[in-house]
Amino acid sequence: MDSATLSAVVVGEDDNALLVAAGLAKEAAMLFQTGKFVECLKILNQILQKKADDPKVLHNIAVAESFQDGCSDPKRLIKALENIKAKSRGLRSYVSALLICEARRTLRGCQQQWKHAYSQHERSNTAVHASSSVVYSDEFSTSVSMFNIAVIWYHLHEYAKSFSYLDTLYQNIEPIGEGTALRICLLLLDVTLLCRNASRSADVISYMEKFFCVNSLTNQVDNGTAVHHQSLLVSKSTSFPSNSIIPDASHTDSTANTSENSLTRTLSEEALEDESLKLLSALDLSLQNLQRSGIASSNDLHRRIQAEETLSTADLRLKLHLYKVRLLLLTRNLKAAKREVKMAMNIARGKDYHLALYLKSQLEYARGNHRKAIKLLMASSNSTEKGISSSMYYNNLGCIYYSLGKLHTSGVFFSKALNNSSFLRKEKHPKLVTLSQDKSLLITYNCGVHSLACGKAFHAARCFQTASLIFYNRPLLWLRIAECCLMALEKGMIKSNSSASDRSDITVNVIGKGKWRHLTLRNGSALNGISQGKYVGKDNLFTADGRQPDLSLSLAWQCLFNALYLLDSLEANDSVFSSESESREALLSQSTNHKNASLVNSNGEVKEQKSGNNQNASLQNSVLDYEHIRIKENRKMKQVILADLAFVELALGNPLKALSTAKSLLKLPDCSKMHIFLGTMYAAEALCLLNRPKEAAEHLMMYVSGGNNIELPYSREDCEKWTVEKVVDGDEPNRTFSTADESQRCVFPSPEEARGMLCANYAANFALLGNLEQAQHFLTKALSDIPNSSQVIVTAIYVDIKRGSTQDALAKLKQHNGVRFLPGNVTLNDSS
Amino acid sequence: MLGFEDCGKLLRLLNGGEENTIEEIEKILGPTQRLIAFAIIYQAYATQQPSSNPFISKLVDAACDDEAEKYERAFVLQLLGSSSVMNSKELLKQSAADYIKNFDLSSHSFPQREHMQQQYCGKTQLEPFKCLFKDNAVKNVLPDPDVPRGCNSNSLEFDAQPGVTSKIGSGNRDETVAGLLSTFSLEGLGPQWIRPTPPRLPVMDAELLWLNPDINHELLWDYGMCADTSRGAAVRDLIAKALKGPLVPVQQEQVLVELANDPKLVYHCGLTPKKLPNDIFAQDLVENNPMIAVEVLIKLVNSPEISEYFTVLVNMEMSLHSMEVVNRLTTTIELPTEFLHTYISNCISACQGIKVYAEQTCETAASSAGRRPAMGHQGPGFETYQLQLLLMSRGLRCWGAHGYLEFGSFHDIFIEVQAFCIEFSRIREAAGLFRLLKTLE
Repeated sequence: MDSATLSAVVVGEDDNALLVAAGLAKEAAMLFQTGKFVECLKILNQILQKKADDPKVLHNIAVAESFQDGCSDPKRLIKALENIKAKSRGLRSYVSALLICEARRTLRGCQQQWKHAYSQHERSNTAVHASSSVVYSDEFSTSVSMFNIAVIWYHLHEYAKSFSYLDTLYQNIEPIGEGTALRICLLLLDVTLLCRNASRSADVISYMEKFFCVNSLTNQVDNGTAVHHQSLLVSKSTSFPSNSIIPDASHTDSTANTSENSLTRTLSEEALEDESLKLLSALDLSLQNLQRSGIASSNDLHRRIQAEETLSTADLRLKLHLYKVRLLLLTRNLKAAKREVKMAMNIARGKDYHLALYLKSQLEYARGNHRKAIKLLMASSNSTEKGISSSMYYNNLGCIYYSLGKLHTSGVFFSKALNNSSFLRKEKHPKLVTLSQDKSLLITYNCGVHSLACGKAFHAARCFQTASLIFYNRPLLWLRIAECCLMALEKGMIKSNSSASDRSDITVNVIGKGKWRHLTLRNGSALNGISQGKYVGKDNLFTADGRQPDLSLSLAWQCLFNALYLLDSLEANDSVFSSESESREALLSQSTNHKNASLVNSNGEVKEQKSGNNQNASLQNSVLDYEHIRIKENRKMKQVILADLAFVELALGNPLKALSTAKSLLKLPDCSKMHIFLGTMYAAEALCLLNRPKEAAEHLMMYVSGGNNIELPYSREDCEKWTVEKVVDGDEPNRTFSTADESQRCVFPSPEEARGMLCANYAANFALLGNLEQAQHFLTKALSDIPNSSQVIVTAIYVDIKRGSTQDALAKLKQHNGVRFLPGNVTLNDSS
Repeated sequence: MLGFEDCGKLLRLLNGGEENTIEEIEKILGPTQRLIAFAIIYQAYATQQPSSNPFISKLVDAACDDEAEKYERAFVLQLLGSSSVMNSKELLKQSAADYIKNFDLSSHSFPQREHMQQQYCGKTQLEPFKCLFKDNAVKNVLPDPDVPRGCNSNSLEFDAQPGVTSKIGSGNRDETVAGLLSTFSLEGLGPQWIRPTPPRLPVMDAELLWLNPDINHELLWDYGMCADTSRGAAVRDLIAKALKGPLVPVQQEQVLVELANDPKLVYHCGLTPKKLPNDIFAQDLVENNPMIAVEVLIKLVNSPEISEYFTVLVNMEMSLHSMEVVNRLTTTIELPTEFLHTYISNCISACQGIKVYAEQTCETAASSAGRRPAMGHQGPGFETYQLQLLLMSRGLRCWGAHGYLEFGSFHDIFIEVQAFCIEFSRIREAAGLFRLLKTLE
C-alpha cells in the first residue's frame, strides 16, 4: 500500500457530507460568538447527526449548553469534558500510530505494526466517522477541552487541579494555535500566582513576552507603533464594520466597564487604534453581547475567529505589566513592583485601570503605607459600588486595619465583606464567572485570622474549617486550626489529661472541722481523675456541615500532623529547587554574558534584547529571593509546628512521641533560641514522664552556667527578631507600628519568666530525684522570677511535705494569694 | 458496686499512716472502720479471682504489716483465705466490733510475705507502668487542725461529744472521712512541671488575603470542529513523499511556502519527534531534502522536543547533506552550545579518520601543481573534509558573534580546534580557520 491507498482508507468516502458539516460548523461558531446559544445548539445537533460521536462536536455542545443555562453543575461538565478528551485521545493515538506506521511501512515494510494498530482501532470502533474524514492528526487535539477543564477548576478555586492541566498544555504549547495558547498562558499565570508558584509564573511571563509581544518591554508603550509592529497577533482583515463596537457600548451588560472602556477608546485613540479597537479582547467583551450585529458578512471565518480571540497587543502588554506587578508583589520585590505599577498605571484604562488601582493599593499596603493604600482603595471603589467589588474593597480595608493593629475595625470590615459576597451565592443559575468571583472562602480565612487574634478560638476554627475547602493543601491553615485548639485549651474550654497543666490558681478543699480539719490540694489532673483519652470534643476532624467544630487536643494533633506532612513535601520541593536555583543562577550569568557579547556588535535589536534580559533577570532574581524567603518562612513554620506538636503530645500523654518531636525541634537548623528553650522544656518533661529524670537534668543543664546560676534562655531582641521581621520601606512618616498590638498577643514568655520556668522545672526534677536541697535552692530562684506561679508553690509545698515540715507547707498555702479555699460540701447522706 | 477509684480512695485513707515522715499523722479511721474498709475493698472484687483484684498487693501488704494490729492482719488474712463468696460471707456476718472483741491471737499464724505474694498475686499481676511523677507523689491532704494555739490537737477533748455544744476546735470525724473520700484522688500531689504553652505563629507576611479583581476566563469554543484540513493534508502528503526521495523544486517550494505561512503547521504534518521517529527524520528527510529539514528544524526550534532532533543530527553519519543542514542552522538560529561542541568534536574525529587519505591527496596535489587541485580529483573524502573545515569556520564565526567564546567550557574545544588547524595547516581551509581563531582570541 502506498500513501494514496492509505488516505483512501482514512479520508472519508463522502466529501460532500464533509463540506456540509464544515459549513454548519462555521455557522454554529458564529452563533456562539453572538451569544445565540439556542440556535447554536440546534445546529450543533444537526452536525452531530452527520458525525455521530465526533468529540469536538460534543465538546462544543457541552460548552454552548453551559453558556445557555448557566453552569449549575460544573463538576458534571468537567466529567463530560474529560470523557470527550479521552475519546479524542483514543482517536489521536490511533491516527498517530497510523502515521508512524505509514512512514515506517513505506520505508521498512513494517506492516505488522500497522495492522496491529488498525485492528485495535477496529475493535474499539469508536471513531468510524472521524477516521473516515480526517488525516490531520491535529483534528484530535485536546488542547481546547483541556483548557476548558482547567478553566472550570479555576472557577471552582481548585487551583492545583487547574494547574496540572495547564502545565501539561504549557509544556507542549508550541503546536497549539495562538489564540488558545494565549488563553492558556493567561490562565496559567493567574493560577500560578494564586498557587504562589513564583518561578513558574516568571517563566510564563517571559515566554509570553517572547512570543506574544516581542519588543514590548523596554519603554512605555507608544500605541501606534506598537500596533504596527505586532503583525503577529493583529490580523488585519477584520470583518467588523469599524463602528460595530458602538452598539456594544450602549448595551447594558454591566459586568465591566466595557462601555466606558470602548468609549474612551473611540474618543482618544481612534486613528491609531482603529484596528485594535475591533480586536477589543474577547476577555473584555462579555459573550452576552446579544445585540451585536453585522457579522454575517464575514466569509473569512478563520481569521475573524483569531481576531476575536486575541487581545490587542497594547492590551496584552498592559495585562503582562499587571501580572508582573502581581508576581513582584508575591515575591515581595516592592521596589520593582513600584516601578512596574507606575508603568501599568500610565497605560491602563477601563477595567484594567481598576485592577491597576487595586494593585497599587496592595503595593502601598505591603509597603506599610496604610493611609495611601486606603486612599487608593477609595478611589477605585467610586467607580463600581456593587457586590463583588465592594466585598473585595471591604476585605482589603480589613487587611489594612488589621495590620494597623485595629482589630475591631478590621473585624467589622471582614464581616461586611463576607455579607457582600454572600448574595452572589444565591443566584439561581450561577455562571462560571460567579463561582470564581465568590471570594467568600478567602474572606473567611481572613476572618479566621482575625478571630484567632481576638481570642475567639471556636469562631476562628469554624472560619478555617470553611476556608479549608480551598486551602487544604497549605500547611499554615492546619497550623492555625491547631492553634485554635491550643487556645481553647489555654482558656480552659477543652481539657488535657496529663499531669501538668496551666491552672493559674490552686484549689484547696477544706474538709472537716476542728481538729479533724484537712486541706486537700487539687491539681489539674486530679480533676479529671483517670479519664484517660477522654476529651471534651470528639476525636474526628470536623465535617463540613457547619456546626460547631469540636476542638480537641487530638484534633490539634491531626492538624499539626497534616501541616508537618505538607511542609515536608514542600521542603522536598525546595531541596530540588535549591539545586535547580544554582543552575538557574548559572544560566542567568550566561544570559548576561551573552548579552554583553551581543552588545559588541550592537545594532538596534540587540539593545532591546538587552533591556529585556535585564527585566527578566530582575524578575528571575526576585523569584530567587522569594524562594529564599519562602524557605525561611517554612523553617519558621516548622519550628512552631514541632513545638506545638511536642506540647500536644505531652498533653495527650504520649511522652515518647513528645520526646522525639522535641528532639527533632532541637535539631532543626537555625532554630530560634525561644524554640530551643521550648524544645528543651518539653524534652525534659517527657524524659521525666518516662522515668529518665537524669537525662532530663542533662537537658536542663545546658542553661546552667558556673555553679548554680541559670542564664536567661533568650533575650528580648531574639523575641523581637522573631516576631517582627517585616521589611517596611514605606514613606508615611507617622506610620503606627503595625504589629504592636498583635505582637503582644503572640509573644513568648519574657526571658525572665522563661528563666523562672526553667528553675521551677529544674527544681521539680531535683525533687523527683530526691535531692531536696537543690530543689529548694532552685525553687527560691524560680519564685524570684515568677512569684505568682501556682506550680512553683505546689512544688514548694511538695518539697516541704517530703521533708516532713507540714507547717511550712501550710504556711505557704495560706500565704499564696492564688489559692482558692472551697468548702468540702459533702454530707454523709450523699454517699448512700 | 464500688469502682476502682473508690476502693483506691479507701486505701488512701487506710494507708494514712504510711508516710511516717509526717509527724502528726492520725489514724482517721477507727479500728472497726478499718476492718470494714478492708472488707469493702476485698468484696468489691470478690466475685473474681483474688489475683484480679487490683489492690491485692496492698491487701497482702496489710496482712504482712508487722506494725499493724494483729487482729487487723488476721482479718485480712482470713479475708484472703476465704476462697469463695460463701466463706467470706460467713466471716463478714459478725460485726467488726465483735470480731475485734472475740479476736484470739493464738488461733492465727502469719505466713511469710513471699509465700503470700506467691499465693495471691500470681503471675497475672503485672507491674503497673510506673510514672515518676505519680510514684513520687505524696498524699495531697494536709491535716490542718483548727485548734487554739498551744493545744494538742490529738487530745480527746476536741472530739465532738453527743449532746454537748461544740467548742472551738471540735469537729466531726465522720464528716471529715466523707469529705476526704469525695475529694481524694488517687494521684496525690507531685512536684509540678511547668509546661509553657507554645506561642502562636505571628501572622505571616501576606497571610491575610488581599483581593484583586479577576481577569475573566471563559470557556473556549473549539474552532477545530469540522475544520477544513485540506491544506494541511496536501503538505502532509508532500512531506510523506519527501521522506522517500528528493522532491521536485516546485513541490519543495510549495512545502516551504506553506510552512512559512502557518507557523504552527509544522506541528501538524507529522514532523515532530513524537510522530516521526528520529531515525527516519535523520536518514530520510535530511538525506533526501535537506532544505525542508532545515526549515522544519527552524520552525520547531521553540518546541521542547527539538533537542531530540538535534541529538540525532549531531550523531548521524557525516554527510554532505547533514553538514549542510547544520551549517544553515548555525547561520539562522541559535543552536545550543553543547550541541555545537559535540558537533565540532565529531567533525574533528571524522577528519582524523580520513586524515591519511587527505594528506596523501594533498601532498600529491601540492607537489604537482603548487595549487589546490580541482575537486574532481579529490574524491568524496576530501570534499567532505573541506566542507567540514568550511563549516567549522562558519560555526566559529557564528559563535564569536554570539559570545560563546567567553565561556570557559569552550576553551577546551578551542584548543582542540587550534591543534587541528596546525596539523592540517597545509590545507587552505584549515589555514583560514586558524586565522579566524586568531582573530577571535
